[in-house]
Amino acid sequence: MTLVAREPKAPFSLTPTLMPLGRRERGYDIPLAVTALALALIGAVLVWAATRDAQLAAGANPQSFLYRHLINIVIAAALMLAAARLDARLLRLFGPIVYLASLAGLLLVLVAGTTINGAHAWIRLSASVELQPSEFMKLGLIVGMGVLFTRRSGDRDEAAPPTTLDVILGIGLIAVPFGLIMVQPDLGSAMVLACAAFGVLVAANVSPRWTIGLLLVGIAAAVIAVKVGVLADYQLARFASFTDPQHDPQGAAYNVTQAHIAIANGGLFGTGLFNGPQTNGGFVPEQQTDFVFSVAGEEFGLLGGGLIVALFAFLCWRGLRIAREADQVGRLLAVGIVCWFAFQSFQNIGMNLGLTPVTGVPLPFVSYGGSSMFAQGLAIGLLQAVHRRSSA
Amino acid sequence: MMLTLFARLYYVQLLDPNKPVQTAHLTHNGNIVVPAPRGLIVDAQGRPLVANTSVQAITVSRDLLQRRRDKGAAVLTKLAGLLHTSEAQLAKEITPCSPKVPAPCSTGEPYAPVTVATNAPTSVVLAISEHREDFPAVRVETVTVPTYPNGSLAAHLLGYTSDVTVADKKTNSALNDADTIGASGLEEQYDAALRGVDGTQVVQLNPQGYTVGTGAETAPRQGDTLVTSIDAKVQKLAESSLAQQIKDSRKAGKPATSGAVVVLDPNTGRIIASASYPTYNPTQFIGGISQTEYRALTDPAAGTPLLDRAIAGEYAPGSTFKLITSSSLVTHNQITTSGIYPCPGSLAVDGRVKTNFESEHLGPINLRDALGYSCDTFFYAPTAAEYYADQSRLAKGQAPNEYLQRMAAQFGVGRAPGVDLPAGEQSAGSYADRETRLARWRANRASYCAAAKRGYPDVANRASRTYLTALAAENCTDGWRYRAGDNADMSIGQGETTMSPLQLAVAYSALVNGGRIWEPTLGWAVVDAHGDVVRTINPKVRNRVPVSATLFRYIADSLDFSRGYAVSGAFAYIGTKYQNRIGGKTGTAEVFGKQDTSWLATWGPTSKDAKGNTKAKFVVVGMIEQAGTGASAAGPMLKRIWDGLFGANGKPILPGIRPEQTLPKIAPQVKVAHR
Repeated sequence: MTLVAREPKAPFSLTPTLMPLGRRERGYDIPLAVTALALALIGAVLVWAATRDAQLAAGANPQSFLYRHLINIVIAAALMLAAARLDARLLRLFGPIVYLASLAGLLLVLVAGTTINGAHAWIRLSASVELQPSEFMKLGLIVGMGVLFTRRSGDRDEAAPPTTLDVILGIGLIAVPFGLIMVQPDLGSAMVLACAAFGVLVAANVSPRWTIGLLLVGIAAAVIAVKVGVLADYQLARFASFTDPQHDPQGAAYNVTQAHIAIANGGLFGTGLFNGPQTNGGFVPEQQTDFVFSVAGEEFGLLGGGLIVALFAFLCWRGLRIAREADQVGRLLAVGIVCWFAFQSFQNIGMNLGLTPVTGVPLPFVSYGGSSMFAQGLAIGLLQAVHRRSSA
Repeated sequence: MMLTLFARLYYVQLLDPNKPVQTAHLTHNGNIVVPAPRGLIVDAQGRPLVANTSVQAITVSRDLLQRRRDKGAAVLTKLAGLLHTSEAQLAKEITPCSPKVPAPCSTGEPYAPVTVATNAPTSVVLAISEHREDFPAVRVETVTVPTYPNGSLAAHLLGYTSDVTVADKKTNSALNDADTIGASGLEEQYDAALRGVDGTQVVQLNPQGYTVGTGAETAPRQGDTLVTSIDAKVQKLAESSLAQQIKDSRKAGKPATSGAVVVLDPNTGRIIASASYPTYNPTQFIGGISQTEYRALTDPAAGTPLLDRAIAGEYAPGSTFKLITSSSLVTHNQITTSGIYPCPGSLAVDGRVKTNFESEHLGPINLRDALGYSCDTFFYAPTAAEYYADQSRLAKGQAPNEYLQRMAAQFGVGRAPGVDLPAGEQSAGSYADRETRLARWRANRASYCAAAKRGYPDVANRASRTYLTALAAENCTDGWRYRAGDNADMSIGQGETTMSPLQLAVAYSALVNGGRIWEPTLGWAVVDAHGDVVRTINPKVRNRVPVSATLFRYIADSLDFSRGYAVSGAFAYIGTKYQNRIGGKTGTAEVFGKQDTSWLATWGPTSKDAKGNTKAKFVVVGMIEQAGTGASAAGPMLKRIWDGLFGANGKPILPGIRPEQTLPKIAPQVKVAHR
């Protein structure tokens, strides 16, 4: 039995008074938070190294990207702390709101978005502040699906497999933002979204008929998309240059080639901070965002790059641990978030290493960028919330 | 998944046997071109006409400025204040040119300092030197610029230099943006010799292209020296006498808009002096001329000072052309030197009455007096007869002889003189014949007829308007027709006959050098830095005119000033010590709508060779537009020059009263201090 501090149907408040008292004693998952913070701080140093010389050359403050990255970390930490205090009931209330708000953001992008690097994915709030709704959509979809699949089990911990209707609704939840992001077009974000959603489907005990079926449909759709030409030219060029790096060394493959040179020259220990010629020379485009890993590879070598990989592995392990101990809704959220981080970090580091095709996804926590940092902060916060309310 | 990443990372960083190599290492080298000082141009005595001098130039390093927080705005603002320009203008001047950056912009390498001011005043140099901390990236450098020790002397001949353009670089890939290139005159003609070889300063650049150090320096090699046949003293005298005459003629109420003088050595074809008025100051072109200044130099209202009237001008030569007419008529037996022919006050040719100057009537005279008194009607009859003879040849299906035109061509009329100046800076002169008349009519008939129909409503003068309209109407229907009157006009150097003063000097040289037509030259030799002659430039004999020595002797004798008042050109010279040692022919050319062009072609000091032929050391030709008769304007103008040459008021300018025949010794160049 649980003791309830206050009438459960009381008007909602952000204070965690609705949380079962017995579970309030559990604290935060400190190793998880520390890992995320470590990645973000490593990111701050790498972003600084990547932008310092170009800023100097442009006569701007060489520390300006560093400062902005640090400010992003502070905001993300605050968001994490706020999210960590949510409970299932509030989630249920907020779930649809988060989902719908993100969706509204995606629609707004279509109408009034800004194009950066070929993708029409940003909303310009002011001269220097731009939001990328697709980053929040990842979180919104995970929360939305989690709430959908557990709506019948309510606050109870017992698992109830989703009905066919739930699954169809769930697929609908995925399809709409997936389509909107594909239209931008931002293939990388769409794939991360699909991957996270797929993780939630599996974790929700949806029948293999559905999951395997969806997987096959997805592969078929991808093949057809390439054949029919739904993908933008630049996306196909990236795939072509992935299969053959010499395909267009000055164009689509340039980034990969330059990042490869940078990482390969890092060796075991790297060239040392601020000493990477490839980084200082500004040869790797988008180095502070999607190719930030190449800075680590060049200036900190195998040790630095390996540390980042290890930190992601640890982060995912902590997330799965939380999922294992959580109630149903918590498990769905945790699995979704872990899938998101795992796939996105694999995809990003993979493309830096020439393992996967180039798709514009940032390295979680490490890459420079406010929207992704904030969404990831909220995600860590949600993991904390799940952790705090799961049974010991 | 994470293991895969780690394994791949391990492979890429440590195992991969084909690791890509980082080629863009910390620094690479760039070259800053150190422009070579241009070679000197000196006169026939080795006196400099164009020299070099060191001046203080202000340069700005854009790459250093860009590293400042405000991109150097404060520095540029301060500098702009000193240089009396604006910060925005300076910023534009130092921005490297690109398709997106229109002029003004910097054409040099992005890392090379850009010169924003040459010949900076001492006050500016001091202000910058004393406050180095206020002017980072701004340097004061010593650069060589051309100087003109004699001011505007021989400006038209020397020409000017300009910055290298894109078109220049296309034709000569060795050219660099930092170079200056000869853009006109001798500077253009002998540019390859004068330009020298640029030096280089190697600079180390970091991957962003910023200078981090300097490397080896190759010193520039100054261009070779061009020795010319110009004598600075004679040139100075010619120019001052021309300017004086313009003043005097204006005082006498004539417009006297412009003029020219040429002094030629008839025995070598070398030009000793060539003056043109109005002239200009060549220093205007140093470091680039402004649009306003250039417009002023090419403004017809200001007399187009940039135009070299001596070589690039074309004027009706008037009676001076009678040298050619006499040569043609006697050579082709249309008249004889012993014959007596009428010189009426007027003569009707082709239904039009043509008069002598002021309708003077001299009665029957021989060729000697017709030349001496300059009777026009004397020449009308035989040249009109030549025309009718050609017409009957045409009627018989034979080609016309057109003796006068062929003789004019032999004397060089209608063909560029081949002087060592750019092709666009020497005029060919012109004359009319049946063929050119027909061709021109075919090309212009439509506009003639349109003008005849429209009249000339914008011409205020009623008489002019009527005349022009009638002329257009005639041209419309009969413009193709070459008439007897045209041939008569040509015989006295009128109508469509034009020559440059230089061409006339070349033609008169033939009179006293045995009939040789020179392709005259200004350049004499190219001398390298050691003082050694690289090459000698020699005028070529283009052809010999088919005129007998006897006839030339007769004409020269007829026009010798010893004949006193019997020779119109002698008027200004009667009583001088050297009256018996020169000869000359006046010309007074009528130009529609303007006052007469005054001409005088002279030669001297004369001597007789073994066969009795007349020889001379100099041919001096003078021309003043809208100044009246040859005797009244060109006569006194050339007298001042002859006074100088003969030493009437002291010693002769040139010892022995003859042109310099040996090349001057050019001292080896002292290495010009640079940067």
